[in-house]
Amino acid sequence: MLTIRGLEKTYPGGVRALKGVSLDVPAGMFGLLGPNGAGKTTLMKIAATLLEPDAGTIEAGGVDIVSDKAAARRLLGYLPQEFGLYPTLTAAQTLDYFARLKGVADRRERAALVGALLERVNLSAEAGRRVGGFSGGMRQRLGIAQALVGRPTLVIVDEPTAGLDPEERARFHNLLAEVADAETTVLLSTHIVSDVSNLCARMAIIRRGEIIAACTPREALAEIDGAVWEAAVERERAAELRSRLRVISSQVFEGRARLRVYSKGARPGEEFTPAPPTLEDFYFSRAAAGGGAS
Amino acid sequence: MKALAATPFFAVFRTEVLLNAKRVTPYAMLALFSGNALLWWGWGPAGGHGWATNSDFFVARSLAGFSFMTLPFFTAVIMGDPVARDFRAGVAPLILSKPLGHGAYLAGKFFGNFFVLVCCQAAFPATFALLQMFRRPGMLTQPARLLPYAEHFLAVVVVTHLVLAAFYFAVGTLTRNAKIVYALAASFYPLYLAYQTVVLRGLPTRWRVALDPLLMNWADVPAKSPGGGWLDAGTINRLAYSYDADVLANRALMLLSAAALLALVRRRFSTDERAERRAADKGPTAIGLGAGDETLFRGETSPGVAPSVPARGVGASSAPAAVALPEVRTLAGGARAGLRQLCAAAGVELRLLFAERSLLVLLPLSTLASVAGLVYFEAAPEPSYSASYAARTADSFVLFMAAISLFYTGESMHRDRELRIEPVLWSTPAPNFALLVSKFVTTFVLTAAAAVLVAMTAAALQLYKGHAPFEPLAYLKTYSVILMPGAAFMIAAALLFNVVLRDKYLAYAVCLATGGGLFYLYNLGLNHPLYNPLLYSLWTPADLDAAAGRLPQLLTHRLYCLALAALCLSLAHLLFARAPGRAPRAGAYLRGRGWALMLTALSATAAIITGLLLGAAR
Repeated sequence: MLTIRGLEKTYPGGVRALKGVSLDVPAGMFGLLGPNGAGKTTLMKIAATLLEPDAGTIEAGGVDIVSDKAAARRLLGYLPQEFGLYPTLTAAQTLDYFARLKGVADRRERAALVGALLERVNLSAEAGRRVGGFSGGMRQRLGIAQALVGRPTLVIVDEPTAGLDPEERARFHNLLAEVADAETTVLLSTHIVSDVSNLCARMAIIRRGEIIAACTPREALAEIDGAVWEAAVERERAAELRSRLRVISSQVFEGRARLRVYSKGARPGEEFTPAPPTLEDFYFSRAAAGGGAS
Repeated sequence: MKALAATPFFAVFRTEVLLNAKRVTPYAMLALFSGNALLWWGWGPAGGHGWATNSDFFVARSLAGFSFMTLPFFTAVIMGDPVARDFRAGVAPLILSKPLGHGAYLAGKFFGNFFVLVCCQAAFPATFALLQMFRRPGMLTQPARLLPYAEHFLAVVVVTHLVLAAFYFAVGTLTRNAKIVYALAASFYPLYLAYQTVVLRGLPTRWRVALDPLLMNWADVPAKSPGGGWLDAGTINRLAYSYDADVLANRALMLLSAAALLALVRRRFSTDERAERRAADKGPTAIGLGAGDETLFRGETSPGVAPSVPARGVGASSAPAAVALPEVRTLAGGARAGLRQLCAAAGVELRLLFAERSLLVLLPLSTLASVAGLVYFEAAPEPSYSASYAARTADSFVLFMAAISLFYTGESMHRDRELRIEPVLWSTPAPNFALLVSKFVTTFVLTAAAAVLVAMTAAALQLYKGHAPFEPLAYLKTYSVILMPGAAFMIAAALLFNVVLRDKYLAYAVCLATGGGLFYLYNLGLNHPLYNPLLYSLWTPADLDAAAGRLPQLLTHRLYCLALAALCLSLAHLLFARAPGRAPRAGAYLRGRGWALMLTALSATAAIITGLLLGAAR
């Protein structure tokens, strides 16, 4: 369980990245959804002990992450948004190194752990290969393997699937799903809606440094059920509709604009038909309303 | 001209000039070269010898000296990196996918940067020429003129550096590794001095001019008598320099060499990325799918309702079955865990350090340069031949030791950030001292290894020259008492600078400026042991002999040096922050730093006590 209260962070340039963020993250998979620049990575870095907040508290498993970083790091597994590996070390050497840094002192236990981790991320065959030659997906899997060293109870994964091909993404989703259990909290930050909808039992939406929604994906979809409408119209008409309706998304397809519109209750126009809601619709409806957490 | 301005070559050329205009380096070079001209004009050798500061001889000689003294390094800084920079920044594919030939691209890159280099170099003759308007008391001048400055600058400086520029550009472009270029720049002086000593010294004057790429011997030849002394000042001031066939042949050869190097670059240049570099650069999330600021991505599956566990059918063919992770015991902090983590970090640091290709150049070079002086060395038998050999090589090795300490400490301190592994490392429970001291230990081991190589080579030379008896203890004493504490201090100081300044190049600049300034003071005679931790020029082989009576003072000084090293290390630990931002609460800050505070206090006390003892003994 991760408990965040009143977290504030303003960068030296004056950018206010977090504006009093409060959030309860239970065990299991939790998705933090938000666009680029919303403050996700700042929140992740603070949770990973790599950034000092200006104010607020953040606690995991009874450990104050802000004031007792050494203790927090013992229960933490972190996969940052951008990370590298020593290109001249092999996959096994890399994991062995992180295991030693995490305090796994016994050589045999370490070897068994490294072997099991490599097997879990399907890199056993590459154990002796230098990571400098790994593909993006392989490096990402090795990244999650290092995050799992030492049985962390809080796993922080920041934008893990951006840049991965569909097969690697599916593989990565499976890996993450296996990690989350009753004792382990996995905090997944992403701007890819399907990552959250595929994986997370609970989610929050962050926008401009504020949590604008915290709920389950089902609750989110229930909230906008029946309020999403879709139509394909001429471009000129689309411009006119945009000025008077809450347009969630607009996409040009075969010369016509395909609009998705949020309208609670009334049908927005003759050409519109009801559409099944998605989390993306929920996000935009909340963003447009500038709403607070539910 | 209009047609040229519309060519892709000119576009690249112009952009290179523009990019350089936004860098600090060219402006620093301009200031440095102008200051250099001012120094040589007002406080150079002209006053002492009665030479006119704008005589043909003095202008030609100063330009040759200017060309030699600082320029090879600056040429490497400007010319070694332009193409590699494009690949590093990821802009190369964008440029090279345009209708632009490789030749035009490379020519634009080369000549754009060379133009900037020449503009910076021109600050020296321009300032020198401008100073004809002024005169210090006792200074001799001739009627003002500009032509000698321009023609000697072109012939002596520009042509020489065209070849050097082409060489560094070729190496930097083909290897895309600036470190190799800088290592070559650092090796320029020993190689050139060796060439002068071994090859040119025995040749007739004509050949010494014709075969000297820097024309260092050219200006002096007409100004010296057959016996090697200077002619009288009046004669020298009347000398008019023109370019004879030897000089012209020399310059033509240089131009041809530059052309050959550029042709080689054009022929061998490839846009292919090296496999290892490609993998290293392509971070797992480097290809961001993120679009604008306020957009979300709908994944290809984009389902409406989320299953809390992913469908196993998605990618199931490649999904591994869940593997249970074995139970492992982890050490929960404490000194034992910290030491084990330090050993782990040091092991990996050593592995990474010895994978550095630059060592293949630096270790042989430092060994060669440190023992080169032994070839003609008249070793004194007192206190022993071994002590003389050890002392001589220890003196020569100091410069390389400083370079190794500074460079490899900086590299290891910033490697984690450059490889983007820092956030992963810093989120582990490894204590700060394990991460910091491991870097200190590995650089120290490397320095010690380089010193051992030098000592072994010196010992081999001693045996070869038949200077018996061979006493290994003399080498051990000299290297362990004189060199190694100095190395420990320099590495710790470099570590501290890197922690405080956080920027690698700023740390390099500050370390170099501090070291250069101190060596300058030492050479002026301001050489107090308290600010000379390396004992530069403050010891003789006899001091290491217990019977001589200076040994206690020497050992006190080495303790002082080690105390300073410990102080730098503990300060680095205190100032090292993994989580930047607001200063942490006092309790949080002190957690795990108590022993570092104690060590800081202890090492400061030790440094003060030993310093007082040294002051009293002096």
